[in-house]
Amino acid sequence: MSNSWRFISTIAKKEIIEFVRDWRTLLALIVIPLLIFPALFIALPLLLQSEAAELDALDLEVVWQGQINDELQLAFNESNLLFTYEEMPTGIENLSDIGDDDERLRLQEVSAIFRLTEDGNASSWKFSILFLSTSEASNEARNRILNAITIWESGVVNGTIVEAGLDPETTLDPVTWDGDINETDAATKGEQAGLVLSLFIPMVIAIWTASSAIQPSIDMTAGERERGTLEALLCLPCTRMQLLAGKWLAVATITSTGVALQIGGLLFAISYLASSSVIGVPSISIASAILLLGAVVIFAIMVVAFELALAMKAHSVKEAGSLLGPAVLFIIFPALFTQVLNLDSIEEWWFAIPLVNILLAMRELLLDRVITEHVVIWVATSVIYAGLAAWFAARQFNREDLVASIS
Amino acid sequence: MNKPLLTLTGVAKRFDEVEALTHVDLDINSGQVIGLVGGNGAGKTTLLRLMAGVMEPTMGTILFEGKKVSTMRSKLGVVPESTGLYSRLTAWENIRYHSRMYGVPDDIAWNRVSHFANRLDLTDALSRHTKGFSRGMRQKTALLRALAHGPDILLLDEPTAGLDVTSARTVRSLVGKLRDEGGTVIYSTHHLAEAQQVCDRIVIVHNGTIRADGSPTQLLEQTGKDNLEDAYVALTSDKARARKEDNKKEGKMSKWWRRLLTGRTPNNQEVSEDE
Repeated sequence: MSNSWRFISTIAKKEIIEFVRDWRTLLALIVIPLLIFPALFIALPLLLQSEAAELDALDLEVVWQGQINDELQLAFNESNLLFTYEEMPTGIENLSDIGDDDERLRLQEVSAIFRLTEDGNASSWKFSILFLSTSEASNEARNRILNAITIWESGVVNGTIVEAGLDPETTLDPVTWDGDINETDAATKGEQAGLVLSLFIPMVIAIWTASSAIQPSIDMTAGERERGTLEALLCLPCTRMQLLAGKWLAVATITSTGVALQIGGLLFAISYLASSSVIGVPSISIASAILLLGAVVIFAIMVVAFELALAMKAHSVKEAGSLLGPAVLFIIFPALFTQVLNLDSIEEWWFAIPLVNILLAMRELLLDRVITEHVVIWVATSVIYAGLAAWFAARQFNREDLVASIS
Repeated sequence: MNKPLLTLTGVAKRFDEVEALTHVDLDINSGQVIGLVGGNGAGKTTLLRLMAGVMEPTMGTILFEGKKVSTMRSKLGVVPESTGLYSRLTAWENIRYHSRMYGVPDDIAWNRVSHFANRLDLTDALSRHTKGFSRGMRQKTALLRALAHGPDILLLDEPTAGLDVTSARTVRSLVGKLRDEGGTVIYSTHHLAEAQQVCDRIVIVHNGTIRADGSPTQLLEQTGKDNLEDAYVALTSDKARARKEDNKKEGKMSKWWRRLLTGRTPNNQEVSEDE
């Protein structure tokens, strides 16, 4: 084992051991990333479904004002609406004029008020539904009434068309789609899944890499400085570049573990959703997969080196936090902008912009598009940017004032 | 006479506008305990850091057995004032981390550490996390860490600062034993009595210069005084300079921000860090 690797691996190992001994760190960087997407994609829909089912089963009280229609009453069967019948209030300008009825809606004494009048010639009807938009029960009652009215109206329209001697289907829907609309997309299920994932995976990787590297970066630099452990470390027989490399390896390992777990959680959630046909598993070639991995690694080198350098520039943990917090926005904003760029007609210079290039590359690769010109540009420029970030970090680590004070 | 282990020739160190050390010439011979004595801001720690190869001199050379000291750090054992222990590691893990960096196998490091830990009465604490350690225990652990790779020179920056009487005595006793065994120790302190007790040779540092260098008897002879305290006062009679941190100029932005947000004193004077 070469001396250099011995130094780097010993430093990295110690940093990782020390870091994971803090249970709060494990919670923040291991447990939360692992659970966040399953919680978001599996638990949340389950919760929403159970809430919706609960709402469906509710009996809701509705006041019916004005005229009664037997056919409409039939359409209300199995709607779980409990009607109380009243005369149409006087002094209202039209059916939507809420009049004196707002109070009982606000107090939620009733879920909705349904008003219905027949037009003079008995061939048409006018209605309104008074409701409270901030109440879920009231919104639910309104929806159930609207559904029943749609069914009733459809019956009325069909009856009129038949009376006129016409066919309701060709009269109401003269232009129709032939066959299964889902079979007309040339993209495979895997490619479609890749498109969906390309809209958020690069952003997740960017944001999570940037944010999860903050804590270890600060702890291993400004934290060491503040706790007074840095001087003893600088006395060791390794160079500062080896020290930086060891720390970089530790932060990169911790961060990539967090990102990998988050992606693992995401893929688990996706495979769960795939079984319910909401989203498929993306199909990408081996070349795309390798390039995708390379893009993530280069991105991690760049971000971790940049954050280590900034944290080393700070004199205290507090100062490092103040520097790194806003600095992460420089990563998050490009990540957000990149999501809205149209990949079909994108100019090549986009692939030379720092951060944007890697994120665009991830999007393209998730779509299994390996465009040689783009790959050459983003790989070349990213390696340069990663090198610059590492050089900046090395400069910070070589500063003499890391330990300077005259005493 | 033996060749010196460490040779400082015309060493100067400047931080921006502050001359931290000026023209330091020192030879450190094997088997000596040398005390660097001086007040706060005298330049003792800077001198130790230069000797440890953590900093480069602005002028002059520091050679360890004829080679640049920064390339010979594996021959040195350093205990900085802050001790530099990791609180989430045990005492042994702290020591092992450093000894591995020096390329010492764990079993050899353990044997050395056990030997010294016995003397420092720290054996039982080796497997404990250093988080709850007292200042004395931290200092002893840092000492063990510096000794684990068998250094040729041990550099100690105020090793008894903040220690209780018993712990300070234990540390001094260990240094004495190291000397008896032929070890070389450079010991920074601002307690003259301690230096007199532990060191064969005392180097008085004041305002970045070496004011005296010799055995306690030689210092008394040099100054014509009866005791070392009087000798020290005579050698450092000029006013001590301000420390670098105290001289640091405030940036324009910081000054503007402070003026905007900092209140005034009861007699309506602006609060200024320059004062």
